[in-house]
Amino acid sequence: MNLSGEAGLDESALVQNAANGDAAAWESLVGVHQDAVFRLAYLLLGDPDDAMDVAQESFLRAWRHLHSFDASRPLRPWLLSISANLARNRRRSAGRYFAALLRAFRDEPVSERIEEQSVRNFQARELWKAVQKLNVLDQQIVYLRYFLDLPVAETAEILKVAEGTVKSRLSRALEKLRDIIRQDFPLLSEGRET
Amino acid sequence: MKDMDFETQLRSIASGMDYPPTPDVAGTVAARLRVPRTRSMSRTYARSLVIALVLLASLLLIPSVRAAVLEFIQIGVVRIFRAEPTPVPQESPATMMPITATPSATLPSLLPFLEQMAGETTLQHAEQMTEYPIRLPTYPAGLGEPERVFVQDAEGPMTILVWLDPQQPDQVKMSLHFIPDGSWAVEKFSPRAIDETSVNGNPAVWAVGPYPIMLQNGDMKVSRLVNGHVLIWENGGVTYRLEADLPMEEAVRIAESLEPIP
Repeated sequence: MNLSGEAGLDESALVQNAANGDAAAWESLVGVHQDAVFRLAYLLLGDPDDAMDVAQESFLRAWRHLHSFDASRPLRPWLLSISANLARNRRRSAGRYFAALLRAFRDEPVSERIEEQSVRNFQARELWKAVQKLNVLDQQIVYLRYFLDLPVAETAEILKVAEGTVKSRLSRALEKLRDIIRQDFPLLSEGRET
Repeated sequence: MKDMDFETQLRSIASGMDYPPTPDVAGTVAARLRVPRTRSMSRTYARSLVIALVLLASLLLIPSVRAAVLEFIQIGVVRIFRAEPTPVPQESPATMMPITATPSATLPSLLPFLEQMAGETTLQHAEQMTEYPIRLPTYPAGLGEPERVFVQDAEGPMTILVWLDPQQPDQVKMSLHFIPDGSWAVEKFSPRAIDETSVNGNPAVWAVGPYPIMLQNGDMKVSRLVNGHVLIWENGGVTYRLEADLPMEEAVRIAESLEPIP
């Protein structure tokens, strides 16, 4: 599992080779970044099939636009930016309605799932549900900072805003999230207090 | 609880998230790169196609519709079905609307619909998301850049540029869609009249409205932004739709003025 976003010292060389048409170089870079791209799409969409579609399309789209990408820059923020945009587009699509219906049939009963989950995973899922009550821009910033654990600078690059804007948006999002947890997720709230 | 504590706890809880195993994206992408542009049918596309076929089959059950549906005009990826084609009335210069013509004040605002549209972005970002060059009209002079820009998933990135009417800011003055090859779109509900024309020598269709439109693609969006007419043409693998409340000659002139963003 690689969320570090580091392809080693060779990332810029690999990007340059890929931009010159080397598909094998691009495949290596996809391997390095696929976890982060897939996970962000999964957090935003809540469905692994949709997340896979978005991850795949993100890498294909990036490949087609590599000629306009500055190879000296880190690749991950650009990939996550594309992935976040594609996921946001897809959120409102009619196709998602059918995917949700399919999920409803596919999912196991909640009680059984909870029994199988560790306490940590249960808490994380509860937190995810709480974050889903935020608007999509707030969700995105929380996922980037806390779920993917990205630094402020990289979050700013992905969202194409200044670092100060990330901090102020995050502060407002956390305020709302705190209220949501207090009101709707008392178990999570109690867990935090202990 | 202080923000720092809250943040620390959020990060700690979020680190316990049990994600589904990451699929073999690299392998799938590599396979797609080895077979460029031969489109495999995605799940979304398959769903949309099934829905479209069901819709078409339902329509064909109605005899009056069945006769109408068999007649259509195809331009690029857009197919216009027409029930009762009627000739375009010849407009005299006196009745032609000026370039600044705006919809009637009684028309409902379409801005709330804009707020519901997915994929709002910037012109700069839209250029990064699309394979085709985004081109802007250089006529009429002073039109400037669009106020709103959207890129939607239509089995390929479909770009929608929207210019608002400065005289009536709650009205859309003009919109321009870029629909890439591989998308699948249908316009229906027979416009009042259809005429055939050309844009820089490429065949074009002029549909006189207003009339409802249905765009069917990967996102199954329904979108009509201007209570006016529409000019549709294809060039270089991209189908263009220009919606504006203007005479055909003006719409063609705008279409022929498109230039890549400097």
